[in-house]
This record gives sequence, C-alpha cells and structure tokens, in this order.
Amino acid sequence: MKGNWRLASFVLAALGTVTVTASANQTTPVRGLHDNSPTLVALQNATIVTQPGEQLENATLVIENGKITAVNRNNRAPDGARIVDAAGYTIYPGFIDPYSNYGVPEAGSAERYRRDRPAQYDNQREGGNASNDAIHAQVRWVDHLSYQSDQAKSLIEQGFTAVQSARMDGIFRGQATTVSLAEDIPNNLVYRAQGYQFSSFDKGSSTQQYPASLMGSIALIRQTLSDARWYNDAQGRTLSGGGVLEHNAALSALSNLSERGVVFEADDEQDVLRAKAVFAEFDVPVTFVGSGYEYARLEDMRSTESQFILPLNFPAAPDVSAQYAELDVSVADLRHWERAPGNPAMLADAGIDFAFTLHGLDDRKDFLSNVRKAVAHGLEPQTALAALTTNAARIAGIEDKSGRLSAGYHADFVVSRGDLFSDGEIVSVWTQGKEHRIQPMHPTRFTGTYDLNIDGQTFELALEQGRSISGKLSRGDESVDIARVSGDTHEVRFVVNMDTFDLDGVYRFSLQTHSRDALSGSYTDARGNEQSLRAERQGEPESRTAERAEAGNPEYVSQLTFPNIGLGLTEAPQQQNFIIKNATIWTSSDAGVLENADMIVRDGRIRSIGEGLSTPRGYSEIDGSEMHITAGIVDEHSHIAISRGVNEGTEAITSEVRIGDVVNPDDVHIYRSLAGGATVAHLLHGSANPIGGLGQTIKLRWGQNAEGLKFKETPPTIKMALGENVKQSNWGITNNRYPQTRMGVDAIIHDFFRTAQEYEQARADYDNLSRRERNRTAPPRRDYRLDALVEILNGERHIHAHSYVASEVLALMSTAEELGFNIHTFTHILEGYKVGKEMAEHGARASTFADWWAFKIEAFDAVPYNACAMMEQGVLTSLNSDSNDLQRRMNIEAAKSVRYCGMDEHEAIKMITLYPAMQLEIDDMVGSLEEGKHADFVIWNNHPLSAYAQVQQTWIEGVKYFDREADLENRERIQIERHALIQKILAEGDSARRGAQNGYKPEQPSWHCDSDHDVWNHHLLNTQLDSGHQHQHSHGGQH
Amino acid sequence: MKYALSLLAASVMAAPALATNIVPGSEQSTPILLQGGTIFTVTEGRVEGDLLLEDGKISAIGSNINTPADTRVIDISGHHVYPGLIALDTTLGIIEISALRATVDTNEVGSVTPEVSAHTAYNADSEIIPTIRYNGITHAQVVPQGNLVRGNSSLMNLDAWSHRDALVQADVGMHVSWPAVGINQSWWESRSPEEQRRAQQQLRDQLNDVFATARAYSDAQQAGVQQREDIRWEGMRGLFDGSKRLFIHADDRRQISQALDFSAEQGIDIVIVGGRDAWMLADTLAEQNVAVIFGDGYGLPAREDDAYDTAFSTPAKLAEAGVDFALAYPGYWDTRNLAFAAGHAVAFGLDHDAALYSITMAPAKLMGVEDTLGSIEVGKSASLVVSRGDILDPLTHSVEYMFIDGRMVQMTNKQRQLWEKYRQR
Repeated sequence: MKGNWRLASFVLAALGTVTVTASANQTTPVRGLHDNSPTLVALQNATIVTQPGEQLENATLVIENGKITAVNRNNRAPDGARIVDAAGYTIYPGFIDPYSNYGVPEAGSAERYRRDRPAQYDNQREGGNASNDAIHAQVRWVDHLSYQSDQAKSLIEQGFTAVQSARMDGIFRGQATTVSLAEDIPNNLVYRAQGYQFSSFDKGSSTQQYPASLMGSIALIRQTLSDARWYNDAQGRTLSGGGVLEHNAALSALSNLSERGVVFEADDEQDVLRAKAVFAEFDVPVTFVGSGYEYARLEDMRSTESQFILPLNFPAAPDVSAQYAELDVSVADLRHWERAPGNPAMLADAGIDFAFTLHGLDDRKDFLSNVRKAVAHGLEPQTALAALTTNAARIAGIEDKSGRLSAGYHADFVVSRGDLFSDGEIVSVWTQGKEHRIQPMHPTRFTGTYDLNIDGQTFELALEQGRSISGKLSRGDESVDIARVSGDTHEVRFVVNMDTFDLDGVYRFSLQTHSRDALSGSYTDARGNEQSLRAERQGEPESRTAERAEAGNPEYVSQLTFPNIGLGLTEAPQQQNFIIKNATIWTSSDAGVLENADMIVRDGRIRSIGEGLSTPRGYSEIDGSEMHITAGIVDEHSHIAISRGVNEGTEAITSEVRIGDVVNPDDVHIYRSLAGGATVAHLLHGSANPIGGLGQTIKLRWGQNAEGLKFKETPPTIKMALGENVKQSNWGITNNRYPQTRMGVDAIIHDFFRTAQEYEQARADYDNLSRRERNRTAPPRRDYRLDALVEILNGERHIHAHSYVASEVLALMSTAEELGFNIHTFTHILEGYKVGKEMAEHGARASTFADWWAFKIEAFDAVPYNACAMMEQGVLTSLNSDSNDLQRRMNIEAAKSVRYCGMDEHEAIKMITLYPAMQLEIDDMVGSLEEGKHADFVIWNNHPLSAYAQVQQTWIEGVKYFDREADLENRERIQIERHALIQKILAEGDSARRGAQNGYKPEQPSWHCDSDHDVWNHHLLNTQLDSGHQHQHSHGGQH
Repeated sequence: MKYALSLLAASVMAAPALATNIVPGSEQSTPILLQGGTIFTVTEGRVEGDLLLEDGKISAIGSNINTPADTRVIDISGHHVYPGLIALDTTLGIIEISALRATVDTNEVGSVTPEVSAHTAYNADSEIIPTIRYNGITHAQVVPQGNLVRGNSSLMNLDAWSHRDALVQADVGMHVSWPAVGINQSWWESRSPEEQRRAQQQLRDQLNDVFATARAYSDAQQAGVQQREDIRWEGMRGLFDGSKRLFIHADDRRQISQALDFSAEQGIDIVIVGGRDAWMLADTLAEQNVAVIFGDGYGLPAREDDAYDTAFSTPAKLAEAGVDFALAYPGYWDTRNLAFAAGHAVAFGLDHDAALYSITMAPAKLMGVEDTLGSIEVGKSASLVVSRGDILDPLTHSVEYMFIDGRMVQMTNKQRQLWEKYRQR
C-alpha cells in the first residue's frame, strides 16, 4: 500500500473542490454533463471510534454516496474502492452542534433607545403573528436555510459536520432545523426539517416596550403558552361571548410544544430553574443551553431532570496585574475563572447528560483546546466525545442519522492524527462523504540528516523544518547554509553556493519525498546541467507516539459555597434545640419586655418563654445576660434578592408579573440584612405603574435556593402605586403612556377592576353551561393579568399600595370601596397623617418611612411624626426600608419615632416586627416571641433601639444564619482564598487572560422602587442605579 | 386592637398650633445662664455645672458663677449641653427638592468651575434648614458638586435672614472630585476597560493642566505681570499662598493614593473628603498628617466581599491609626442624621468622646474656625445645643434649646407645624 498513498490523497484533495455532486440532481434539471464520478471510498488501517467507548483498531471505514456502507473490523476494503491509508489516524463521528444559528439570516439589532422617540407599545401585525415582537414561534427556520461557506468552514475546522439551527432572537425564536454543513443546495442539507423551538428570556431585537424585565419575559411566556393551549382548544368551537376565533400562526406553532419541547438558552443557573418552572406549568420538556455556572447549584440542576447544551466559553481571568486592580474583582469571579472549565466534569459526575456547543465562544478556534481543558478538569474523554456526537445527535433529533460511525449513517466524520482529547489534531473532516482537508494527511517531515552524492562527492544535508525550512550542506568540516529555501508539503527547493567545496558557482536543488527513508530529486549546476539526486535519511524519521487522553484531576484553591460568592456558606447551618438564659426579651406581645428571662427553642419553634426555665436535657445554653432579644425584623417593603428588573414598568397594568419568578438567592444583601437583624422581607414590584406585579415574601435563609427562601405560607400580595412614578413625572422620556395624571390613575384602576369583574362573570357563565354546550364552546381565554385582579376582588390577594399624597390615597380608597375591594396596606404613605381617619375607616394599614422627605414634590409634606400620627388615628403602622441600605438598620429607623414623637419603645419595636407581620398576615407565625411561633429572633448587645446596639446573632426557625463572631473569623478565610486565586492567575501569566472577555455575571444594580429600565435593551429609562463602583451618597434616592 | 401609644410626645412644646413663619433668633441682649446640666466641652472633658452666655459668647463655665442682675436663668438639670454640631460636605440651602431641577443649584456647566462659590446660591429660607437644626446642627459647610474642579465651599450658620447673615467663612476651600479609577464591569458601562482607563487618564491630565495654569496665573499676578483677570484662576489663587484649603473628594483606595501623590507634587496640603477606603491607608494618612472627612458612616460595603460593617467600623479604624478625621453626612434633608451616624460609629468601636469630637471640634478645625466654634470654652461663640440626653443616640436625643452666637434659635420647622396642624383635624 505504501507506494500509492500519495496518489490517493492527491485525488481526494481534488475531489474536495468538485462542487457538482450526483445527489444534487434529484429534482434539479441537469444542464451540461451528468456527473457520475465514483464515490466509493475506503479509509483503511484506521483506528475507528464508532461511538463513545467503542474503538476498533486497524479497521476500514467504507463510504459511498454520502453514507457509511460498512465499518470493517477485518480491515478489508471493497473491490474498486478508492483507498485512503489511514494508518496512524483515528476516525471519530462528526461533531454536531445542537445550538447554532448557521445558515439562517441574522436579526437586526434593537435600535438604540432615543429620548425624543415615543415609546413603542404595539407591534406591526402581519400574517397572524403574535401581539409581541419577541415571539417568532411561527417561523420555520428551514424555510430560510441557505449554505454559508465562511460559516461552514469555521465550523468544519473544529470538527463539526451538522448543526441544529435557528435565529437566536427573541423569547420564542421559531423552529430550528438540523442541517449538514456540507456544501450543497439546502434541499440536500436538511437532516431534520422541524427541530426544537428555541427560546430564551431575552426579547432580542424587538423594539416593543413589553417586556422590559426578567419577570415580564417569564409572564409573557406563561401567557403565551396558556394562549397556545386555549387556541388549540378553541379550534372548531364557538367562542364564549361570541365572535370568531382569530388566526394566530404563532400560537398555532406552539400548540404541540409539550410533545416537542424547547431548547432554552439560560443566562445563568438561576434562569435554568426559572425556565424549568414556567415551562413545567404547561408540561413542556426543556433542554437547556447552559451558562457554565451550572456547577454552582448542581443539585438544583440535577433536579430539573433535563439535558444541557454547554458552551465552552471559559472566561479570561480578571485582570489583576496592576496593583490594587483586584479591588474591582470579586471572589465570585476569581472562583469562576478557576472552576468554569470543571463545569462539564461536575455535571457528568452528577449524572447530567449534555452536549457541547460552539455558541458563546469569542473565537471558535479555542473550541478544541477548551474541550481539552474540560478533560484536564476531570471530564472523561469518552463523555466529551458523547457531548460532541451521540448526545448532540439526540438533542438535534438525528441520532438515527449521524453522531456515530455505523452502516446507513451519513458519512460525517473527523480524521485526526493522535487522540483529539489530548494532543491530536484534526487533519480532515468529511461531510456527506466529502472531504474537507485541514492538514495534509501524511505530511513529510523533512527534518533529518541525509547522505547525498553531488558531482561524485559525498555530502551531508541537515534539514530543520519548523514553520519554514532551513539547513546546511556539509562535506567533512566544511559547511554552507542552504539559501532561498522554498517548498510545500512534499517538496523542498533551495540554492547552495558551492565555492566552499571547490565546486564552481551556485547550484539549485529540488527534492521531493520519495519514501519514509529518502528524498529524491535533482540539482542544476553552474553550467545548467541537471543531475538526478537521491538523499538517504540517516536513522529513523522522528515519530510521534500518540498520547491517550485521560481525565485530569484538578486541584482548586477556591471554595465552592452556597451561594457561590465570597460570603457564601460551605455547608448549610443546622437547626438546633437550645435555651437562652437571663436575657432581656422584647416579646412584641402583650407579655411586654421581660427582664432576666429565658427562652427555649425546639424544632425551630419557640417552646416557652419565662423566668427560671430549666434547661431540657441535651439542649445547649446561650448566655443572654447583658443581651437583648427581639423578634426578627420584618420588612414590609424590600427590593433585595431580585434578578434583572424590579419594575415591569412598560405598561400601566402588569399584574401578571411575579416577583416570585425572579427571586435571586445569590444577593449578598440577604446576608447584610441578616447582619442587621432582618429575617423576613416582603419583596415588592416597583412603583412604575398603577397596578404592578405580585409580591413575594422571603425568609432570609442565606445559602438556600430561590424556592428555599420563599416564605410560602404568606398570603398572596400585589403592588399598586400612585403618584409621580406612575404618571412618569421624573422619567424624562416622551410620555405617551396612559395615565399621566392622578385623574387618569384613578380612571385606569377603575377600568381594569371593572374588566376583571366582567372576566370573572364570563368564566362563571361558562362553568354554568351544560356539558353539551361546554363541549361546543371554547372556554374564556385565561388572562393572568385579570386573574390577579379577580383574586383581589375576592379578598384572596392583598394590596400594598405605594402612595404619598392625601388626594390619591382618598381616591384609591373610594374606587376600592365602590368596586368592593380593600386596600390592605398603604406603603410609604407619607401624608397618611393627613388622612389617618379615613384609612382607619377603610380598614387600611400603613407602612411608612421614618424620616424620608423632600426628594420630590410629593414627599415635601412628609413628616417624621407620621408613624405616631397614624397610630394615634387608629391605623396599624409599620416602618419599611425600600432600600438595601436601610434594611440593615431598621432598629434605628424605629428609634426615630421615639426621638421625634415619643413613641413607646416597645411599640417602636413592634413597628419593625409584629406590625409588618400583621400587614403580611403572617403574625400567627412570626413577628413576636410567643410560644409556638417560629424561632426567628435577634440577639443584640444593647437596647435594640439604641445607636449603640450591635446585632450579635440572627436566627430563623432555630437555625443561626448570622453570628458576628463567625463573621469576624470568616474574613481572614476570604482574604486567604482571594490572594491564592490572584496568585494562581499571576503565575499562569498570559494564558490566564485567554478566554471569554465577558465571561462573568454582570453586576446587578441596587434596585429602588423607581428603577425602571429595559434590562434587555439596556435602555435606562430612569437612572437611579448605583453600584459598588458608582456608589454615591444618594441617601436621598427616589422611592 | 392596641395601636394606641402609651406615651406620646411628652416633650412636645406647647407652642400654638399655628403655621407661623420661623423667625431667626434675635441678637443676645441679656445674659443667659444654663443651670444644672452636664456640659460636654469636647476639649476639656465633661463638667457638671452651669454655663453663662454673654454677648454671644461663653463667658463662664462651672459652678457658683457670678451672674449679672438681668441674667435669664434656664434650668436644664438632667440635660446635656454640647457645642453646636457642624455638618460638613452638605448641599443644604442649594437643593430644596432633588427631583425638581428648578430647586437644584449644585452643578455648574463644565468640569472646571473654580470660580463658583456655594454660599452665593444658599437659600437661608429653605424649609429643609430648620429640620436640620432640630437635630442639633448649628453650622454647615455647603459644597458645590461636579466631576472635577467644583468650586468653593463656605461655612454657614443655620439660623439667618439671608446668606450674608448666615455666612461664617466664605470660600473655605476649593473642591476637587478625584477622577474615577478602576474598571466598571456593570452592564450599563458601555466603554471597554481600555477606554475607561484612557478616560480616567485624560481627566487626571486635565487636572494637572488646570493646576499648572492656575499656578502660572498666580505667579504672574504675584510678579505683577498678569494684565487681565481670569475669574477661574483667580478662584484658585488662594491654594498657592496657603490661604485656601484643597478638599479632594476621593473614595477608592487608588484615588486617595493618587490624591496624596498629587498633594506632594503640588506642594499643597489636602483634606480627603468621602474617604470610603481611607481605612486601607489609615497609617499613611496619619503619617502624612492628612485629614479625612469621612462621609459614609452608614455606608453599604463597596464590594461584594467586603465585611458588612466595613463603613461602620471605619471611624474606629481611623481613630486607632491616629488619623485626623471628621464625620460628615453628605446630603441635604438627611444630613440631620449626623449625630446618629456618629453614635453608630460608637457601636462599631469608636470611643464616644472621639465620636463627639468628629462632629464638633474636628470640623471646626477643618473649617478654620476652631478659635470660635467646635467646643465649649470660655471666650468662644455661644453656639451650643441642649439635649434631653445623649445626643448621639436617637433614644435620648432631643434638642430642647439651641443657641447660635448667643441667639436663641426657634426649634420648630415645617414638619412640626404640619404635624401640629393635622392634630387639629
């Protein structure tokens, strides 16, 4: 065989450039000649990895007409086949990328927000599209497919032969198609016409206002999936309430989603859980495109029982080269730099199936080296191969066509020199039986020393082949450098001045590879005579011993904590049974303040409180002498622990959005608030619209995931808002949204509640139909926006209404009374002192600021006597923070009512414990220290209202979540870890700086009530953002 | 329901519930003896005794003071007496309502505005100011805002008919915002790290240019060769003859470091304002004798991994290292929380006396008025407050009397008047 390998490889190289193929002619008329070139090829003597874990040595792969016809263990090639000698080469199945946008047109980018342009609320309706421009569900990307040579080439170079592809734009992105990367008409490229629907939370190029927040995107998905169900259900039935069912192509395309599932691109591991939750409501299976952060919540990822598509965009290390540059770098980012390459291995160890994607890589050329990095970080090479082939084929819906080397499969494969998962390199990639040569298959290594005969004399030629070739010609002690060297893979040409050797003039040489042991060619002497020449190699040519890849065993200097930031916990704190002795206990109950009292905590509940209690057997004792104990602080109005947007402030009524969908358990303010004695926070939607989103009460169980934080027994709540924010007074944008006045605020609230009543009636009417009529009639479309209002009307959901001035407060109560609902709690309510009587009559409660005022005109009549004044008028009053800063020191806010209006100290404590608990209707569980209630309490080293008080410990349900002593000890640990990681980066030098340049989670701003911007388009509508970097002394930020 | 307060506002003054205009206190005409209080002199310890105020000055401290015949005696037994608190780095009187642009006079056009002086825009009738006095603050430094060379701050007394009457010290110092440092990785920062670094360098270059030009102008004036006035560089002349202080607003460690280098290069003494990271450089600041106006007493940690109490414990760390520092509460309406922020610093390790010093004598020195204000000493201005108890603790803080230069200040304000009004309803 050795004699003709050169020929074979030349022929194939030529074939690779032939564009006409036999298969192109199925329906295309042939002009000119018919191409009937033979396609039978046998790659012989190869190591063939037929699928992950199955490897044949010295075998033959036979292909014909774009398909694999046989994998011959006996290494036999069929008669008449063109033979490719693949001795020393490994053949892998071609790689498949299940998440790509190859071959489809790109989306335009969202136009930059312009202040002088009115906000766009509606979209252009055409062809039965959805009412929101982020939904492209009806698009079938196969209809837009074309061959893209540059894109195909860059994918093929990394070993890919097929991709699942759709445009990555919007929330529902349309149906993907799985296609070959071969060069051909699209008709011949399609492996699967209708693949997955792609999806994400990002509205992409849509310039429509809604949704501008993460919770808005989730709400839109929920409503859309519900609509799709309803639309499907309503086909062929009369509509309740009359009318004709609209044609809606987008909803129609989503009707069978629960059978087909979606591929969902998640921005981080929290988004995985959020998407899982909303799609699960409609039984839609989800395959996730991961972020590389999955390892941080591995158990949660496993609990999704989903498969993943992982990008390998490992981040470049943060730049810590300059002194103190590390001041801008968090431990979380340093950790992620170290551990991101270990993400695939950790998922594999957790039993999670995944494929790899090129998506997200800054430079596709980094792909294979990043696969190897993943292997070095513990990923089994076999698993890595599965991620590139069989798993990917399954996700792309082509496991019966591609992804393994087996008869009947497409001839899609990768030929490599060496093990691809250690130091091998791809020499060629075959798509549908056609070779794409990346490197010469058997390149000549000219390097070596050769004996040769020139003009009858014996010379020695030493060649060195690096990026170029250099060398010396020598005879005995004399030697001359060869010059003007040129050549290619099989030939080297050069000139030598032969004067040194007493030969006349400059000779020209040309040598080709002849065999492994010799070069042959000719030279031309000074007189123009050509002489043939043969150069025999001294010794064996250097050969590479193929290194078998093995999973590495990485050593990390970083911790992995919950959440995975510097202040996270390495292990979950445990519930304890104990007694606190001899403390001053502020019970927030009728029992008052007890001196020298004891409190027994069992199973997370308060067992008893009193003097001289005896310690139950096995209980630990906490010495409370000199200490004060209060109930944990409850904050009626908080915006901590919320991801990407506190306002869906685009539309006036957004009661379909839910803070509960976007709880962020990684927010360090959870910990900081614990350190200030807070245990419960009511997370509210912002105040950008009259009826905002649904609230979520959490317990500050630091370390738990979003679900674990939720205080699920809390009755449902909703945010409403009045005044300047709602009428966009300080937004600085072109104001074209209704309402722009307090009159309009009142009117739109009235209008929507009226509509909700009608909606409820329509649903009731439907339920009252006879079974036969129900079968003929489509049920009323479910409207999540109105559902929430119906719950309010039925007293099942409590309103927390952001409000400032007396007029708007009275107007809202009048409207509520007229329509038959109740304003449960007014929040902020700075002019409550003016209308306390009416509030008390209405049955409203109040949660106010201690002393904020003068930051806008509607806060100019605010008084620090407000809490006292409202209480005097019979309104149950609490204090709220609306601020991650204030939430850490609500005791001082409470003390201000003692300072300004002489409030009883115990009452002041109740304003931050019992009273807010009553406003959330959770006072049967928390808010005071009484037998049977949750053991949520704070240990202070001083009178809890004093400036000199410092929180020592904070407990939730008998679990200690904050301990000042432990905090002090932990500081050193964080510093040690931080510097170890910085050292590791510095020691790695430039290579640490390779990788994704935006590879870390973006910093979240401090959310305020009126932080209103589009988190997808990054259009700041109202910039009250501050961050660690831009922290201003804006103690007077707007609320 | 048990909403009723068991005790309400025992100390509420029995003032008529009329919304009257709040008239500045009239000049002291008769001697006043404050009898029987605990006097926190700040410089000479605590004195249990009496305090005699005459002609706007403190004329005697102690017991058995001989009082003139017409002395008005006020019994303050059980109460505490403090020097009037001095609030640094505020925008009092130059912002009324931050969201209403028309009421905001803090930022002039351009990044180099050394010609402006804050007191010229100070509204002595601001509704905010009486609420600030209510919590024991008698004087405030009013500071222009801006992103590079902001202009001049002035020290005002907080009970006056006009800004002329209010002015204690005009143009006490020039304020510079040190250019940003570090890399902002937030999604709302659209510039690349390299662009950010370049922009920062440009600002530092600009600052150096401004100082070079201003110094050349000053030298030319000195030599009598400068023919025409340039109001901008005129405003900076005082920096080069030592008659005006240079306040550099710097929070990040690297900003403070660069500001110290700048001070050395320019040969101009500086005061660091803000000083969020000053604790990291406490030893250097003490060694170089650079004062700090720390403005972040209740601050959030600047960085995710920072200890939760980083800002709270900074005053204690500065004190321990021997840094000369004052505590400020930058803002306008919220500046009234200055005393509580000092108390908070005590909760996190600062000595009580040091906390009091940091809002009285330390600011007086930085404003150059330590001979008249900042402590209770014979011969000093009778600018002081009488509180029911410890002024640093909201539980006991209750200012019953305030005197500014011996003038008795009305302790009511718009907020009290509104409250009283609606109690009539």
